[in-house]
Amino acid sequence: MSMSPKAIEETLAGLREANVTVACFLPESLLKEIYPALASAEDIRAIPVTNEGEGVAICGGVYLSGKRAVMVMENSGIRAAAEPLARLGLGARIPVVMIMSYRGDIGEPNWWAVPHGITMKPMLKALRIPYTVVRNVEDIRPTIVKAFTMAYAAMNHYAIVLTGECSDFFPKSSKV
Amino acid sequence: MKRYDCMKILASKLENELIILSLGGSVDEWYNAAPHMRKASLFQQQLGCVTPEAFGLSLGLPHRKIVALDTDGGLFFNLGILATLANEQPKNLFVVVWDNECYQSIGGPPTHTAAGIVDLSAIARGAGIEHAYTVTDLAVFDKLCDEGLRAEKLFIIVAKVDKTVSPGLKRKHSDGIEDKYVFVRYVEELEGVTIMGPSEHN
Repeated sequence: MSMSPKAIEETLAGLREANVTVACFLPESLLKEIYPALASAEDIRAIPVTNEGEGVAICGGVYLSGKRAVMVMENSGIRAAAEPLARLGLGARIPVVMIMSYRGDIGEPNWWAVPHGITMKPMLKALRIPYTVVRNVEDIRPTIVKAFTMAYAAMNHYAIVLTGECSDFFPKSSKV
Repeated sequence: MKRYDCMKILASKLENELIILSLGGSVDEWYNAAPHMRKASLFQQQLGCVTPEAFGLSLGLPHRKIVALDTDGGLFFNLGILATLANEQPKNLFVVVWDNECYQSIGGPPTHTAAGIVDLSAIARGAGIEHAYTVTDLAVFDKLCDEGLRAEKLFIIVAKVDKTVSPGLKRKHSDGIEDKYVFVRYVEELEGVTIMGPSEHN
């Protein structure tokens, strides 16, 4: 159970097509293969951060330079990042694009991840952050490109939510 | 030290740098201490975001010196950035932390440095940032600003300043959105880049 090579390839291709040169991330398990892939990409500066709020603030600073950055994280990170996202987006119209795993989606086998699914959409709605849930690998690349176009036109954040189907994570049945 | 005196010293040394600064009393003080740098300064009402945002800006403009004017309360909101900076070692980032040991803008309740136990520059050095200094003297502040602005390495000054705000200053009238647009247009002009271009069609 892992993020397929094709999904990694499509994610990196989407970031390159969107002219992203900085990727901040806080590793998690659903998309775990993407983090070493980002770290080894020669044309993308990968920045491990200590929490998602710090990461989105760094991404906001990159935006102010005219370059493009993405924050890659678990969807639980929207809770940790809520304060800086509100300040950046609602308070200053500084857009940040996030790619987040959809923990707590249908099929979630981990009890600890269920709250992530419960809170994700209400948090995004409260922060007025539009999002797209991506369930098919072939949709990853165009969604990333369109998310950056939308975020920079609207001067608002955008969240790309990658499900377990994109990472081939969820087991067919739970083990007892 | 008075923060406003420190700011005037720092401002006199700035010309082509970009600045991101914190909230509270330091906003109007910087607005008056550095009138020639107003367009080059992003006034952010963002506790915990100032140094991370300045780091992001430094990543995008590696040839430009970026100055973060953070505060003790703001840095405490995300001490993790010190660990990230230590790992990344941006050569063009100069951070000044105004440590007045209180949350001044809400009346002055103490921050964690007020008891004299917690030392922010020691935390930074412990994280792995070699050039992190606590300053209590204007002459030393002046000297370290010169050094930090010239240094091609990460440099942090924790300036121990009074709790007072300089009285009678002209207030900044703009909000965070206007400040952002002014700053972005200035960066576009300074760097010859497009950050907010035209729409596809009108």
